[in-house]
Amino acid sequence: MDLLQILVNGLSVGAVYGLFALGYTLVFSVLGVINFAHGAVFTLGAYFTYLLIGGAVGANGWLAGVQLPFALPFWAALPLAGLGAALVALLVERVAFRPLRRRRADPLLALITSLGAGVILVNLIQLLVGAESYAIPTGALGGLPASFSLLGARVRTVQALLLGIAVVLLALLTLWLEGSRNGKGLQAVAEDPETAQLLGIDSTAMVRLAFGLSGFLAGVAGGLVGLSVSIAGPYFGIGYGLKGLAVLVLGGLGSVPGAVLGGLIVGLAEAFVPADWSGYKDAVSYGFLFLVLLLRPRGLLGRPLPTKV
Amino acid sequence: MDAALLEQMLLGALLALSVYLPLGCGQLSLATPGFYAVGGYVAALLSTGVAAFVGSGATSPLWALLAEMVLGGMLAGLIALAIGGPVLRLRGIYLAIATIALVEILRVLNLNLPFTGGAMGIFGIPQPFAHAEGYVLFTLALLALACWLCQRLEALRLGRAMAAIRDDELAAASVGIDTPRTKLIAFVASAVLAGVTGALAAHFLNSWNARAGSFDASITTLAFVVFGGSRFWLGPVIGGLALTALPELLRPVGDLRLILFGAVILLGPLFFPQGLVTAERLRALGALLGRGRHRSRQAPQAP
Repeated sequence: MDLLQILVNGLSVGAVYGLFALGYTLVFSVLGVINFAHGAVFTLGAYFTYLLIGGAVGANGWLAGVQLPFALPFWAALPLAGLGAALVALLVERVAFRPLRRRRADPLLALITSLGAGVILVNLIQLLVGAESYAIPTGALGGLPASFSLLGARVRTVQALLLGIAVVLLALLTLWLEGSRNGKGLQAVAEDPETAQLLGIDSTAMVRLAFGLSGFLAGVAGGLVGLSVSIAGPYFGIGYGLKGLAVLVLGGLGSVPGAVLGGLIVGLAEAFVPADWSGYKDAVSYGFLFLVLLLRPRGLLGRPLPTKV
Repeated sequence: MDAALLEQMLLGALLALSVYLPLGCGQLSLATPGFYAVGGYVAALLSTGVAAFVGSGATSPLWALLAEMVLGGMLAGLIALAIGGPVLRLRGIYLAIATIALVEILRVLNLNLPFTGGAMGIFGIPQPFAHAEGYVLFTLALLALACWLCQRLEALRLGRAMAAIRDDELAAASVGIDTPRTKLIAFVASAVLAGVTGALAAHFLNSWNARAGSFDASITTLAFVVFGGSRFWLGPVIGGLALTALPELLRPVGDLRLILFGAVILLGPLFFPQGLVTAERLRALGALLGRGRHRSRQAPQAP
């Protein structure tokens, strides 16, 4: 494989990691905790997309054989799946995070409650649609060709889509965070929730906003991955969830551009692992993570860690 | 109750104690399943590959089990010692993520090293006990020993230093406690306990593969401690016993079992943020049993 091909493959995988880590980072920046249900929301996004483009449920599960009465084109199904995932993320916030916040409980507990929510979601998926894998047909992209060649590299249309959508979403998110009233409110809550509250910013609404956005990004990423490599069963989000964690720290906890940069770096690094060593590919991101934690704990683009006094 | 289930519960309690030790000095380490996997591989490799440990094929001598537990614990402890220095400089969520990364790196190594049997792992591990009851008695003794050591710790300088770091690390350092050393001791002790438990579990389960040390296991073992309570050793023990039994006890509800398990993990911390075992509840229990004194006067459970 030549260099260009490796770059294309690495960047498209990296874009998914970046989208994934963006969702983590949004929630982390306002609450200071990691949402372990994020992987399950991502998985749901993939299943929503599959159903919305008219896919039928397999023979297992309570919904065996169910099919929506309509079939949307992929470009319409994807944002809708994102919205569905956002609603689920809001539900997760409501049951797993808000009760703890209201009681000012140890943030450590949110790791457990969000994981509980994730376990429920994943097993609910399994109950409803079974454990088999689902492939989103490539015909879902309508008239677009399955792949095209670019300067001699074979680029699958899905890969280009992944990268393009990730870049567009990042740009929109950055513009919104810097330019809109709500975006600035979100940043203020991330900075200091109590002062933000004193200044008249509804921090609960901002937390909800962060969860909604994070769920939308996860849902879109899930739909894109489903299209790109198929949905490998209800548990397939967990691996991405762990990688996303590595990406999150690599880029700097709470940093939006850091999440994307970290994703691209990890994706590229994995693409450069030679085929003979492919078994060790999954360790690459964690190796990076380890190095970053030891050499520069705030991550590549993170702010300096506060020193506790 | 089924002896095999009881054995799993006891192993769960031991792992919970392994998570509790670093948490006792404020360090959220999720590395326990990684060290557990390492200990299990040591036992699995020795008892299936080294003539002196193999015994008569299907059975293995008790001394071999003990030697494997020592070696498994030592290897886990050495790994913890090697990485503990730099890793324990991290705090809070950063430490948690670093230990998740450690577990994942160990898992990938276990899956790919030339001698660990790949995804299938190692099977046909010989049995030192003929029945599950033998394992139960042996593990019960080990758990009692671990509990006794944790209880003793409270009276020792080391245990008090750990509690001081948990409550306020800077204050602890300012009164002359060697905080890096204390944290490292707790981390290594946690690894040794997990390694010893892994060596025992590999024999009990008869086969061992990389799934023993996964992210899922990290969170499950953390749930044991959060559930039971992290202030006193009885908390993680009860959490480990109860949460290991729960999925089995829920078996009658069939497909809903794991959903209910998720619901328990979700709701537990909301209703019992301190865990089930707290100082007040212990005191209340002590008063109920007519023993008004505080828990430090309680007779140690010697094995």
